[in-house]
Amino acid sequence: MKILFLLFLLFNIAYAGDATIEVVKKADSLPTLAIEDSSISYDHTFKLKFFKALVADLNVISLFNVDRHYQTVPYNDSSVLVADKDMKYVLRYKIFEDDNDAMNIQMKLLQNDNEVFSKNYRVNRKDIYVFVSHAIAYDINEYMGAKPVSWMKKKVIFAKVVAPKKSEIIIADYTLTYQHIIIQGGLNLFPKWANQAQTAFYYTSLDDDKPTLKYINIKTASVKSIISSDGMMVCSDVSNDGNHLLLTMAKDGQPDIYLYDVKKHTYKRETSYSGIDVDGQFMNEETIAFVSSRLGYPNIFTKNLLTNEINQVVYYGKSNVACSASGHYIVYKARESSKTFSQNTFNLHLVSTQTDFIRRLTATGVNEFPKFSKDGDAIIFVKNYKGQSSIGIIRLNLNKNFLFPIKSGRIQSMDW
Amino acid sequence: MKNIVLSGVVAALLVFSGCSSKGPAVDTKAVNNNPVKEVVPTTTTTTTQEVQPVETETVLSEDNSSVNSSVNSSTSESTMNSIESKLPTIYFAFDKYNITPDMEEKIDAAAVIGKKSASAYKVKLEGNCDEWGSDEYNFALGLRRANAVKKALVADGIDASRISMISYGKSNPVCTAHTRACWAKNRRVNFELLP
Repeated sequence: MKILFLLFLLFNIAYAGDATIEVVKKADSLPTLAIEDSSISYDHTFKLKFFKALVADLNVISLFNVDRHYQTVPYNDSSVLVADKDMKYVLRYKIFEDDNDAMNIQMKLLQNDNEVFSKNYRVNRKDIYVFVSHAIAYDINEYMGAKPVSWMKKKVIFAKVVAPKKSEIIIADYTLTYQHIIIQGGLNLFPKWANQAQTAFYYTSLDDDKPTLKYINIKTASVKSIISSDGMMVCSDVSNDGNHLLLTMAKDGQPDIYLYDVKKHTYKRETSYSGIDVDGQFMNEETIAFVSSRLGYPNIFTKNLLTNEINQVVYYGKSNVACSASGHYIVYKARESSKTFSQNTFNLHLVSTQTDFIRRLTATGVNEFPKFSKDGDAIIFVKNYKGQSSIGIIRLNLNKNFLFPIKSGRIQSMDW
Repeated sequence: MKNIVLSGVVAALLVFSGCSSKGPAVDTKAVNNNPVKEVVPTTTTTTTQEVQPVETETVLSEDNSSVNSSVNSSTSESTMNSIESKLPTIYFAFDKYNITPDMEEKIDAAAVIGKKSASAYKVKLEGNCDEWGSDEYNFALGLRRANAVKKALVADGIDASRISMISYGKSNPVCTAHTRACWAKNRRVNFELLP
């Protein structure tokens, strides 16, 4: 009996050991990368901010096991720091201010003391430093031959309610580190990029007699009204080519989804259920996903715009109130518990319209505003957990989530 | 080495400064002269004036006031605002837009005002929600609440052409505490008179 017990104990220890080894192996399976700062301008606080941004970006591209120790070294030193000798890669950069007060960054990637990749960057103001950090991570990702992370250089536009009936629309980088208020005053909500170049955007103004969809061309600084509707007007999604919009309008107090043709200035009603149909999202040129209360509770459906066929696509979750689509994938927000108030968990799930595939993407807190990147590689969302709001990035193919704390305010809506 | 100028990043972050409450005022000068140069938005008087918290006392005063309590005031003295202050607030259950019997009575009383002292005005019904739920769905929920009140008013004899609706979702709370009582105050439809 003792022998049996010993064998059982040994088996358990061996099994637990394997699990631990597996985790270590995964962590070590990525090549190591150290970062060396050679900056000669700006104060230490700023240098550290840039370093932290770079560490975060390099973590997000998930190609390296990034060393988080801040180290300094002259840029032209022929070899890496002694502490970094065992590192597979060393990223060295130098920030310096030129005579025009612009911020310049030289960067080189070293492997075995040899420069394998280098690039220079320049921005006119140092407060947009975080975009340089994103660009460096993007370029290194490209150099390493990984799948492009174009979304990293995209800008996020979001609305924030600052007081009853008062809001701001803000443009930010994907981590919301840099934020710029672009519309201030009044109640302007639901901003949506009008094109992939992000040179214009739509938003809903609630300051006119009727809710009005407006369009701002950032390059020409022009503002124009597109269409109004009594009760409700939201641009839920913009087609990839920018030629069509999915609007939620409420003719006669009935919220339904309309397909708006940007060039012809015409629209077509796509849903007519007597309850609530909102949040239309383009899946492809023929199909849209949307939220409807037609089953007595909010859930996710698709509609083929050619055949008018409507299908329920989600059979999980008690209240599925928001979604985003990319190809045949849909990410949606689901209430996980039946409590009317408090302690409810809202998680994001990923489903496919082609299979029974379903994957939970978040585990805790209130997760909301999911939005696919244009290439479908990542999902941005907001996590509220234990009194802290964070912007989240889900790398779908890598099965990893990254969180960046939001400093202040609650987001009303967001586009990427 | 390639020299990359991130002017594109900055160019897209153009500044619209000095916004009125009716919409953004665009600083085209800053845009056209130097797209890279960014002008920090000035804090306009609009911003400072905008912080106008809605009085939660509105709910209490409405509860205590009788619809008929001010009938003795002559119509000539009744300004639009004073009439508006006598109109009720209609409350709703969580995730619902049906009107409960006690709220029906309030709507009936509002219809009486609408046909008498407020007969010269149009009315805008403002649908609101608590902080739970996705915003677009919440906006639709707020609208359905406003529409439910509109239908009840029309059934009471108010001309539908006098009524407009708007939904503010959860962007117009009268109470911001994270409590049940507070959420209940926010699930509401307000009346606003228009000339």
